[in-house]
Formats: sequence, structure tokens, C-alpha cells
Amino acid sequence: MTETNGFRRRFIAPAAGGLAALGAFAFGRPAAAQGADARATLAATSMIEEVKRRGTLRVGMSTFVPWAFRNRAGELIGYEIDVANRLAQDMGVRAEFVPTAWDGIVPALLAGRFDAIIGGMSITPARNLNANFTSAYSATGVDIAASRRLAQGMTTFDAWNRPNVTLVGRRGTSGITAAQRLFPRATIRQFDDDAQSILEVVNGRAHGMIGSVPRPLFATLDNPDTLFRPFENPIVRQADAMAVRKSDPDALNFLNNWILLRQLDGWLEERQAYWFSAREWRDQVPG
Amino acid sequence: MDAAILLLVVGGLGFLAWRAGAALNYRWDFGPVWGFVARHDQERGWVANLLLQGLLTTIRVSFWAAIVAVIAGVVMGVARTSRALLPRLIAGFYVETIRNIPPLVFIFIFYFFVTSQILPALGIEDWIRRQHPDTLAWIALLFGPPQFAASVIAAIICLGLFEGAYVTEIVRAGIQSLPRGQWEASQALGLGRIATLRHVILPQAMARTVPPLTGQAVSLVKDSSIVSLVSIQDLAFLGNEVAATTNRVFETWILVAAFYFIVCAALSLLAARLERRIAGRR
Repeated sequence: MTETNGFRRRFIAPAAGGLAALGAFAFGRPAAAQGADARATLAATSMIEEVKRRGTLRVGMSTFVPWAFRNRAGELIGYEIDVANRLAQDMGVRAEFVPTAWDGIVPALLAGRFDAIIGGMSITPARNLNANFTSAYSATGVDIAASRRLAQGMTTFDAWNRPNVTLVGRRGTSGITAAQRLFPRATIRQFDDDAQSILEVVNGRAHGMIGSVPRPLFATLDNPDTLFRPFENPIVRQADAMAVRKSDPDALNFLNNWILLRQLDGWLEERQAYWFSAREWRDQVPG
Repeated sequence: MDAAILLLVVGGLGFLAWRAGAALNYRWDFGPVWGFVARHDQERGWVANLLLQGLLTTIRVSFWAAIVAVIAGVVMGVARTSRALLPRLIAGFYVETIRNIPPLVFIFIFYFFVTSQILPALGIEDWIRRQHPDTLAWIALLFGPPQFAASVIAAIICLGLFEGAYVTEIVRAGIQSLPRGQWEASQALGLGRIATLRHVILPQAMARTVPPLTGQAVSLVKDSSIVSLVSIQDLAFLGNEVAATTNRVFETWILVAAFYFIVCAALSLLAARLERRIAGRR
């Protein structure tokens, strides 16, 4: 082993250095020109350039009420749909939505299925290791909708952190991560969407459903006889942002500044109020 | 006696349904879900909504995957019965690899490989975007919405290659079920191996493989639901979307099951008729 390392140090490294020097000499390119080339390549491969060339912004998302879901006509509506459409409009392109299973959405972004994830994705270190996040543009949190029959009076964290407590939630969401961290002794069962989790609690097969604000609140409003909210405030506070592939400073700069401007003119706040507070959009949805 | 058994079965099922209804705190309401099958548009009249669109995608994916599977199956099936070692090894490796991996695992690995390596190399996505609107209309008819066509093609390749392994075994069984005399007689007539396969062996083998192949086709339609895991907008995927949006989980999945049943039962009926016709001709 040492022998090989010695060999590498003594022979290969100088040889490689010599080759590089030779190459630089042969092509006669100053370092500054190379830097400009690298910049040009980086800029040309930026998601922003690709979107302008293509004329469409491809957006990865998944169905979460009220971030992105379907109206009666089967069209996508919701907070993040508004955000993506406005962003595309400001870029002078069209938004194209790619509905994607939530637990596979980061690999799909890395595989190039779409340009950005705009779907109410909370920033987590685990996700951030694989993708870049923009500045946060909506503050959310994790909340619980609990069964009136099973979880009456369970209003402390300790009451939920017991082996005989069953919590349900959607696979791959930050709600599940929060539940695993806060209630390590509870049984956590994962479903493919929020509706199935809520159904489990309504049917009395789980003590509570954990999910992002305001979904648990909406569930209790829909099922006032069977569900209640054991905690006044969100049990974990989070921030949602857009996710893009790594090593794309142009995209991050553009998106961050777009978010800043839409925060300053109050547009994001107004949209958030519309989708998250009163459910004025209810007549657009069946059921 | 038969009537009594029938009565008992129906009664039992009814009791189960009643128990399920009582145990589940559930208000049945198919209303919102029907709206997602088809809806009435002010200008265009009745139009297909998400669930019917999903059914169409499922049919498209199944159709093309079946063609890929048959091509892969016939080539590999012939290779499996080859006298040379190399084709036998390749085909054997193909069949054994795929048959010993769960479909779900296979599709995850292979789909991400195809979409991140093969499709960009072929440039299919950019090619589709550059097409004339008329060509795009054809692509839409054959593969669904053009912006998703590249993913659909990738899923078709995955599903087709997966089912191809089972078709390979069916084709191999068909070829090997023919008596050796057929090969020997062809040889005696001076036919080469390729000519023997083409004119003597494959036509007979194909007739024998029709029943298991149609069974495999029904299987393929059902297996096609795994492409929903890689976010192809098929019946299973959009069923999930509708359930998430309407909160009517059971109603949606019951309807989705009914759709799959209708397609598969129709395919089985067609297969039965085809089998009778072939049997009659022989």
C-alpha cells in the first residue's frame, strides 16, 4: 500500500503536473480565458438558459391539498400551482407540471425529469444534501389531527410518545421525519397520500394523523364529530422552498430574487392567505 | 343443492359487506368521483376527465409494452433454443435476471437508468419538442400528451422488457413442444435452420402459444399499474390523485378496480374467441 502511494507521489503526480503544463503550453491559453470558458459552460448549462430555450418551465409536484390538487375539470389548482404559473409568466415562458410520486421526487429532479420542484417542499438537511433549496417563501409547520375517541385528552408530547400510540402520515414527508424525531416510541405507519391517513384516523385505526399545516386543520373541519386538534400551535415549525439541481448558481440567484420581489409586493402573502386560511376555493373542488 | 350453496355464498358476502359498513365509520358517496370519470363542459360537451384519461394511458402503455414484449420474447425464445452456446447464455441470463427480481424493484432501477442515461443520449425529448403540430397530434394519439411522451416511452420499454422474459419462456416452451421429427423432416427436405424456423417451427409454435400468451397479456395490463410508481399518469396514478383530492378513497379505488376488470375481462373474452378460431382451423 505504502509502496503504491510512494510510487504515485514520486512518479505519477509530477508526470501529471508536467502533462498539464505541457498542455497549457501547447494550447497557449492563459488562466483567465479558461475561467471565462468555465463560466460560459456553467451559464449555458444553467436551468434558466434551458427553460428560455425550451419555452417551458417544467415543474415537479405532487398532490397535496391545498398546495397542488385538482378542480372539478381535473385541472391542477393550489398555492404552488399559482406560484409556478406566476414564476413562468415572469420568465416569459409556460409552466408545465409533472405530477410525481412524492417519495421519488428528488431522484426524479436529479434525473432531469423537470427543472425545479415547486410543491410545498420543506427544507430538510437530508434533502439539502442532494439538491439545492432557494430562500424559503412560506413558513409552515407540522400539525396533528387526532381521533376524538382514541386520543381524547392527549394534549402533551409525552402522551403521544408511547408504544401503544399509532401515528399515520404520508410517506416521504417532513411530517413523518418530525414524528420519528418527536415520538420515537410511538408506532408510525406511512401511507401514499394524506387522504388515506385521515381515513385511518376517522375509522379509529390510528390515534392521529401528522401532516403539514393546514391539512390536519382542514381534516378536523371536514370531520368535526370524529377529529380534533390536540395542539393549539404547530408542533414543529418549517420553511418551504423550491428545490433545484446542485451547482446551478444562476438558477438560485434568479429564483431567490424572484421570491424576494414577490414577497415585497405582497403577492405571495396574498396567495397564501387565499389558499391556506379561509377555504374560499371550496366550490372549485368536488365533494 | 346448488341453489343452497349460492344462497349461502351471497348471504355470507352480504353479511361481510354489512359488517364492513358497520365497522368502518364511513359515508359512502360516489358523487365526487364520478365527476372525475367524465364531466360536462359548457363548450365541448362531455369530455373525459382524469380517470378515463388514466385508463387511456394504461391501454396505450399496455399495448406498446405488449409489442415490445412479443418482439423481445420471440427473439430471446428462439435464442434460448439455439444450438450455439452464446445466444443460449444471453437469453438465459435475461430470463433468469428478470424472473428473479420483483417487478417493482426492476422498474425503479431500470426506469431511472433509461430516463437518465438512454433517453437523453437518444435526444427523444428534444426531438419531440421540435415536431410539427401534426406530428405532435399523432404522438398524442399514440403515446398521450407530448410533454410526457418521453417518460411514457421509457416506461413502455421497462414494462415490455419485464414481460418479455415471461414471453420468452412461453415461446421456448412452444418451440420445444414440437416433436423432433419436425426438425428432422425439414432437414431431410434440405431446409436450413433459419428457413426451418420460419416456415415450419414458428408457425406451429405460435398456434400453440396463443392461449398462454393471451393470459400473459391480461397479466401485463394488470402489471402495468406498477408504472404509476415512476409517476406515469396511468389509471393507478391518477386514481391516487383523485383519491387524494376528493378524500373518497374507497370509492375511487373501487371504480379503478372496475376499470381494470372491464379491460382485462374484455381481453380474456377476445382471447377465448381467438383460441376457438385457431382450434377450428386446425
